[in-house]
Amino acid sequence: MCHVSVGHVARVLEERGLPTVGVYVQAFRHVVDEMVLPRAVITPHFMGRPLGPPGDAARQRAVLEVALDLLDSATTRTVVELPYAEKTQAGSSTTGRVSGQ
Amino acid sequence: MAAGETFEEFKDSFSYGSRTDLAFKFLKKLAPDDAARFFAELLTKLGETVDDGDARRLVDHAIEWQARAYAPAPGEQRPWAYDDGPFTPMPAPLADARIALLTSSGHFVAGADPAPFGAAGMTQDEAIARIGEFIRAAPDLSEIPAATPPGDLRVRHGGYDIRAAEADPDAAFPLARLRELAAEGHIGSVADPAFSFVGATSQKRVLATAPAWADRLAAAGADAVLLVPV
Repeated sequence: MCHVSVGHVARVLEERGLPTVGVYVQAFRHVVDEMVLPRAVITPHFMGRPLGPPGDAARQRAVLEVALDLLDSATTRTVVELPYAEKTQAGSSTTGRVSGQ
Repeated sequence: MAAGETFEEFKDSFSYGSRTDLAFKFLKKLAPDDAARFFAELLTKLGETVDDGDARRLVDHAIEWQARAYAPAPGEQRPWAYDDGPFTPMPAPLADARIALLTSSGHFVAGADPAPFGAAGMTQDEAIARIGEFIRAAPDLSEIPAATPPGDLRVRHGGYDIRAAEADPDAAFPLARLRELAAEGHIGSVADPAFSFVGATSQKRVLATAPAWADRLAAAGADAVLLVPV
């Protein structure tokens, strides 16, 4: 239900001219498509840890960089799925599968 | 198991029942046959982990079955489904943009408890017990000053396992990480304040209140919004 709540917020913000990007865990992948959300990163994490495990700042940062970079790069609806990376080195790039409309 | 308890009652008890565990409440969403497969495969993988010590497969197993549990059933109609969706282009390059943070993780600053239903100092256990009231109520958007250190953040949310978000807020409310990215010039700046609410709430009321939230984000100077649902 949390994911649907945030999906509704995303749609209202976009309608009012504020671009958004969301970080969604795998369990709610389908909500991103059902709600036709504009920009999303799907992370292979357990619910309650969308950015990654507690204490793993490098992983959290890598997820954030992918999400924020979508704001710059996406010119149409874009969803990126991140592969699992146990220990992400700070500064390394995290690539994911990109799907559009 | 309690005397006479069936397997179905056992697996359902993890969702707001006698064995409430918000990390595993998804078991209730699985059909009994699937839940049995979850446990059988978990034990097989546990046996492998006994020998090689690689617990990664156990984590992956939990994530995979959580996703299965929340996937729509074949032909299921989802009340939140839309045919299309809005897309607003970025007004400025990321390196010049002010980014706002808004999460549904239920974080707030110590001393600024949003006091749902007028209950000051509500505990996590009380929030779990009152989840039905949260789901019917209007959401309350907490303001969190952008400079708040992680140690001053608190979290309460009766809909998910908050242990990670409590131990390290950046697992679900990545304000410290955003500040680092701003300091390094990856983004222009972090909008002040950041925002969080309890996402287990009435959808009708979220839709009614979201335009006012857009105004608050605009007042914070946001060029774009990073959303993190939990």
